[in-house]
Amino acid sequence: MSCHDARESLSAFLDEALAPDERQRVAQHLEGCSECQRELARLEQTVALLHRLEPARAPVGFVDAVTAAARPRPWYRRVAAAVFLPFSVKLPAEATALVMVALLAVYVFERTPALRESARTQPEVREDPREKTVRAAPRGLTDRFARDPSSGERSPESKARPLEKEQDRREVPTTRERIQSETEIPKQEAPAPAAPRSDAAPPAAAPPAATAPTAPAAPAPGAAPPAAKDEGPLDKSQAENRQAPAPPSAEGTRPAPAAPASPRLAAKRAAPSADAVTGIAVRDRDAAERDLAELIARVGGRETGRRREQDATIVEAVVPQPRYAEFTQSLARLGAWRVEAERPDLPAQVHVILRLQ
Amino acid sequence: MREAEAGDAPRFLDRLRAGETAAFEELVITYQHRVFGVAVRMLGNAAEAQEVAQEAFLRAHRALADFRGDAKLSTWLYAITSRLCLNRLAKGERRLRRQGEETLLRLAGGERPDVAVERGELEAALQRAIAELPEERRIVVVLRDLEGLSYEEIAEVLDLELGTVRSRLHRARADLKDKLERFLP
Repeated sequence: MSCHDARESLSAFLDEALAPDERQRVAQHLEGCSECQRELARLEQTVALLHRLEPARAPVGFVDAVTAAARPRPWYRRVAAAVFLPFSVKLPAEATALVMVALLAVYVFERTPALRESARTQPEVREDPREKTVRAAPRGLTDRFARDPSSGERSPESKARPLEKEQDRREVPTTRERIQSETEIPKQEAPAPAAPRSDAAPPAAAPPAATAPTAPAAPAPGAAPPAAKDEGPLDKSQAENRQAPAPPSAEGTRPAPAAPASPRLAAKRAAPSADAVTGIAVRDRDAAERDLAELIARVGGRETGRRREQDATIVEAVVPQPRYAEFTQSLARLGAWRVEAERPDLPAQVHVILRLQ
Repeated sequence: MREAEAGDAPRFLDRLRAGETAAFEELVITYQHRVFGVAVRMLGNAAEAQEVAQEAFLRAHRALADFRGDAKLSTWLYAITSRLCLNRLAKGERRLRRQGEETLLRLAGGERPDVAVERGELEAALQRAIAELPEERRIVVVLRDLEGLSYEEIAEVLDLELGTVRSRLHRARADLKDKLERFLP
């Protein structure tokens, strides 16, 4: 056995952990090798030093600490641990939930027009029954009239102020528009305080939102009032105001429609909406206007607006839906008539625009 | 050096498996110093050693119902403790430093001051020499020369071959011999 092999086994030799034959071989080597004997002695002394180390002792109270920690927790602690998640789980879960709720809120808001509208609308607008019928009118019909350039004449204002065409098309004015119209109308009406009805005397000077809807389609787009042409591009609306004829004398005879209670109401009434548009070719416009007023009164409707223009008289009226058919048939007495547009599902109060020409 | 075995009497094991608090307390009382001793020699820090020793007993407590008794209780506890220590050393979960901890290990005795100084110096040198050993050698020398386990028991505790235990122990002792040369006669 070499010294290297013997020294590898010296530790086990000391501990008497060698098999008998291996122990015998190591012992034989040690008898003839003083170096390995010295090495064995140093190892033995080293182990003796290690044995001199005092055994470590657990600190006082160790047993109590261990048994207390091993004791089962009270039931309420276990329940609490089961119910309440640790922060490492709870915080990310809460953050995720917060984001999800926010996304859901945005989604619901986007998908619910009523919420969007209520967020946009100023609170408290006094309702008028007629406004409701006006509002209930379909969007598509009036939009079509407002947008279709081939449908004929548009309101003088929309011609005079082409930059505001987009505003004309809006069915529901935004809050800013409402405020604008409410603040502008008194100024416009101020010069003519004696006008008996703001809707009878065409509110040509009112902002476009107030007048555009009342302008039905005219067959000749180029048939704008000559006065407006003469006036030039500036302030056509005022020119039309001067050209606008006074309310016809027959007006006093028709069923008294409620005059707008306020400028705001006038603006609201003028919101673009109509359920039907009918054109009537008449020989005598004055006579036809009178007959029409009687007809409207007979079917239980009411006239809500009238405007005389150069080549036509525009009459707006609200007719009860049950008698609407009778009303349209009776129009034949006035002249050749043609329904130019009519929404398929008519409301209880049909808002009809009639053009006498 | 080792305390008397609490005994692996079947009756005692049955009480432990049944979850008897008194039996577990008896187990802790019997093995606390051995478990703590291995932990403090391996980690070199009393506070950390206490933490690991407590964890070792708690793990044993949770696993007692499944303890089959194939190994001795002491071997089983040494195995749990050794694994916890080696894991902690491997993961670097060392929060406290070892410096100055040696003094905690000294027993306050009625020694003469000069003897106490000499003894303290030797213990410090021993502890330092042990702490400087590679971990896989350190655990073998601690279990053999400080805790007095047989080669076979060490192999079982550390799940090693007997030859590996022999080889590691020899290298550990040779390292210590070189480090402690000045204390040798």
